[in-house]
Parts: sequence; structure tokens; C-alpha cells
Amino acid sequence: MGRFWKELTKGVVISNPLFILALGFCPALAVSTSVDNAIGMSVGVTFVLLGSNLIVAAIRRAVPNIVRIPVFIVVIATFVTVVNLLFHAFVPAIYEALGIYLPLIVVNCIILGRAEAFASKNPVLVSIADALGISIGYLLALLTISFIRELLGTGGLSLFGHELFTLPVLGEDPMTLLILPPGAFLVMALLLALFRKLGVMKCE
Amino acid sequence: MKLSQWKGIYPVIFITLVAFVSVALVAWTDSITKAQIENQQEQKIQSMLKEMFPDMSRYTLEDDIYIIYSDGAEVGYAFLAVGKGYGGKISILVGLEDEDTIKGITIISQSETPGLGGRIAESAFADAFAGVNVNDVALRQEGGQIDGITGATISSRAVVEAVRTTAMEKVKALKERR
Amino acid sequence: MNNLIAIFLGLAIINNFIVAKFLGLCPFFGVSKKLGNALSMGLAVILVMLIASVATWIINHYILIPFGVEYMDIIMYILVIAALVQMIELFIKRTNLILYNALGIYLPLITTNCAVLGITLINAGEGYTLLESSIAALGGGLGFTLILIIMSGIREKLEIADTPRVMRGLPVAMLIGMLLGLTFFGFGGIV
Repeated sequence: MGRFWKELTKGVVISNPLFILALGFCPALAVSTSVDNAIGMSVGVTFVLLGSNLIVAAIRRAVPNIVRIPVFIVVIATFVTVVNLLFHAFVPAIYEALGIYLPLIVVNCIILGRAEAFASKNPVLVSIADALGISIGYLLALLTISFIRELLGTGGLSLFGHELFTLPVLGEDPMTLLILPPGAFLVMALLLALFRKLGVMKCE
Repeated sequence: MKLSQWKGIYPVIFITLVAFVSVALVAWTDSITKAQIENQQEQKIQSMLKEMFPDMSRYTLEDDIYIIYSDGAEVGYAFLAVGKGYGGKISILVGLEDEDTIKGITIISQSETPGLGGRIAESAFADAFAGVNVNDVALRQEGGQIDGITGATISSRAVVEAVRTTAMEKVKALKERR
Repeated sequence: MNNLIAIFLGLAIINNFIVAKFLGLCPFFGVSKKLGNALSMGLAVILVMLIASVATWIINHYILIPFGVEYMDIIMYILVIAALVQMIELFIKRTNLILYNALGIYLPLITTNCAVLGITLINAGEGYTLLESSIAALGGGLGFTLILIIMSGIREKLEIADTPRVMRGLPVAMLIGMLLGLTFFGFGGIV
């Protein structure tokens, strides 16, 4: 049981997918324009990661080596398709906001990476812990980026349609650059530099 | 079957099984979400039309023009217009009071620059279209009455052009319908 | 014709795959400072994007839509792309061993490159014809290659520049992505 929590917490900070492992940037930078989208994306990734880690760990002994990668790909693609359909049907606003980045979860290095590096070599329960940890880490990373981008880029925060607050000065004249694509690069670069300065990450 | 033969075809059987289960799962998900997804498109149009024509009781679609009824009487028309903006396609729902006047517009989707062109989605811009004659839809700097968004001329013009050209087209069709 | 130019320029410059759509970032950050390698990588990606676009268009129009199984798109597309990359890898290995060694691990990684699956999803989403899909793939791929080439040139200068320790490597590469993105932003409105 101790191992469960150890793997879970590992994924959150030490092996944080975005900031430490530096995986899965593509969708992260694209959807972090608002906190809503970040949460939506994270839920999608969580579902897929949990599903794929669970199944891969469950069948790991039975999978013949030759077809290992194609099998993993089919499993992951299945979960992504399911998530895509569910989102389309039940949360259409988030579905439209995420656009092609939701199906692109299937090529997200994080998912295949975890399946290959972890779930295929570890029992089911621990693999679930790993999936949860990585997902929480991903959520936190995305929240950090999107919080900054939405707050400074639009001058306020709104959660699922409810406007939480608007800032005094930035509310009228926000730093629009931040919610545009170049702004994502900027925020990410500064955050990475910050984490390195704080010693959380190693420099090159 | 010899062990070596079994080992040979086992991978094939395995992956076929996996494919089978995947397809089944996805097909099942599709069947439970299909109705919901098809509904959405219709619901979206309906709520937008209702917002534009508050006393709408029902509507029909004839040749890409929505005819709005209020208790049996034709109270207006609506149609979709597409403009080419700075960042891509702008989808607009245009409402007509009668064959000459615009009732209003609703921006359905756009990918203009937030804070600049994106402001075409604000009510201030859309309100300027209300009551305007179909032939007079133009920006103020081009002789019309509609104020463009400062610093977003391309986006503003895209909407204005799309509304005017499509409106004139649909009005012609409406007149021929009679 | 205008339509095709708009699609091409749109995906190559205005909605550039790397700096505007964030597709294909992994090769961007890992690209070497050798122009030759960047070019090879870019060309390989263009090739895969083009063939994948055609293949997925055929699958979409002759299998998925007629049988009403559009929901199988993600699974089918990724399998086609994986198979394609395998075949191209084998082909390059047989015909040009030097190129094969130069591309190294990056070749199989094209399978998980967001750009390839990305273009197939964009084509399907926009409902492009076969010709439009091909032009889109060409535009997207060329834009991708352009950024890679630019980056490889800048990398060279970066090596000898005095970058602050915390910014070295990934962060400064991101900043360059930002600057390139801002520059390309100015092209909006061309079409």
C-alpha cells in the first residue's frame, strides 16, 4: 500500500510530466488559454491515462512482444475516442474549446511513455497510482500556466461560465499577448526558468 | 497444434482480440452519445433564434432560410452568413425583421484576435446592425452607420461584408418565394 | 485557386504548425544545429504528412463515412500513420543508410508527432477535398520545416551566446519560439 502512495506522489512533483519530464507540450501550450480549458483537458488526460495504464498493466503478461506497441496504441486510441465522444455529447462547450487537441491526446508522449515505461512492467494497482499521480501533476502544471495566462491576459478569471473576479487595472487593458500563442511560449519559458532557479529542476 | 505453431499465431489472435474489444467499446460509446450529439446542433440554432426573436413560437427551414413564426404569423427570417476574418472563418446568424430590415446579428463562431477583432462578439458591435436597411449595411467610414471596432478594421469589415452580401442574396430569394 | 493559396499560406505561415498551433514541438526543441539534419527531418515529416493525408482521406471517404463509422477515425488514423512511418523507415534504411543514421531516433518518433495526426484531423474537420488536403499537408509541412531550419541556424549562435544558466536549453528555445510566433503573427490578414 505504501508503494501506491509513493508512486502517486512521485507523479505530482518529482516526475511532473510537464515541468520535469518535459512531455506533452503540444496540447498543454494550446489549451492553457483559460482555466476552464485546462481543467477540461486534464480530465480528458486523466481518463485516458487511467484507462490505458489499467488495461496495459492488466494484460502485460499476455501481450506478445512483437505486437506490444500496436496494442498499446490501439488501447490508448480507444480510450481517447471514448473520451472524445463523451465530451462531445455531454460538455460540448469544452469539446469545442479543446478542438483537435482532445483527440491529439493519443499521440501525447506522456500516455504512451507511461504505458511503455511503467504500466507494462508493474502490477495494476501501482500502475493506477502512477496514472493518478501523473494526472494530478499534469493538472497542477496546466492550472499554473492557464491561471497566469487567463488572469493577466484577460484581466480576470471565470470558471465554467461564472465570472469570479476582474482585476482593477488589467481588467480594462489586459496583457493580451499572454493568451495568444506566443504568450504560451513566454509563460512556459519563464516558469521553467523559475523552477530551475528554485532548485526544483536541474539546469542543463 | 504444435507449440511452435501456436506461438506463431498467438500474436495475431491477441491483436485481433484487442481490436475487437476496442471497436466494440467505441461503437457502444457512439451509440449512447449519438442522439445527444445530433440534438446539440439543432438546440444551438434554436436557442440563438429564440434570443433574437423572443416571441418565436416555432420556425421552419426553407432553402437555407429560417422562417420565424409567432402564433401562425411570419414575424421574421434568419440565415447563416460566413465571413473571412483576420484569423479565419466568422460564422454569423443574421436575423431579418422583414424583407428590408435587419433585426440583429449573432456571432456564432470566430477566431479573431482576443481583445481586438474578438470584440466583434460584443453586443456593442452587434447592436449597431439592428434596424439597418439591408442595402445600407456598411461601416461608418464607408458611408454606413455601423461603427467598426477600433484597431480591428479587418474583422469588422469582414462581418459587415458578409452580412450585407448574404442578406441581399437572401432577400432576393425571399422576394422570389412570394 | 485562391482557395488553395489561402489554405497553403494559412497553414504554412499564419497558422504555422509550430509557433501558432504548437504541433510538432518535440523535434523543434530537439533539432540540431546542423542545417542538413533539420532539413532531412523536415522533409521526412512533410513526406509522412502528405502520404498520411492522402491515406486518411481515402479511409475517411470510402470507409468511415459510407459505413457511418466516423468515430473510428482516431484509431484508424493513428494506425495508418504508425504503419506508414514503419514503411518509410524501412525504405530509408535500405536506400540511404547515411540519412537513416543521421535521423536516428527521430524517425520513429514522427509517429507521435502531433503535426502528422494534427493535419489529418484538420483535413477531416474542415472537410477538405483530396486536393485541398494535400495542399494543406504541404503547407503545414513546409511551415514546420521552415521553423526547424530557422531554429537550427539560431541554435548555432545560441551555443556561443552567454545565456543565463536557468534559461539555457529549453526555456530560451521557447523564447525564440515566442519571437518567431510574434513575427509570423504579422502575416495575418494576407489572405
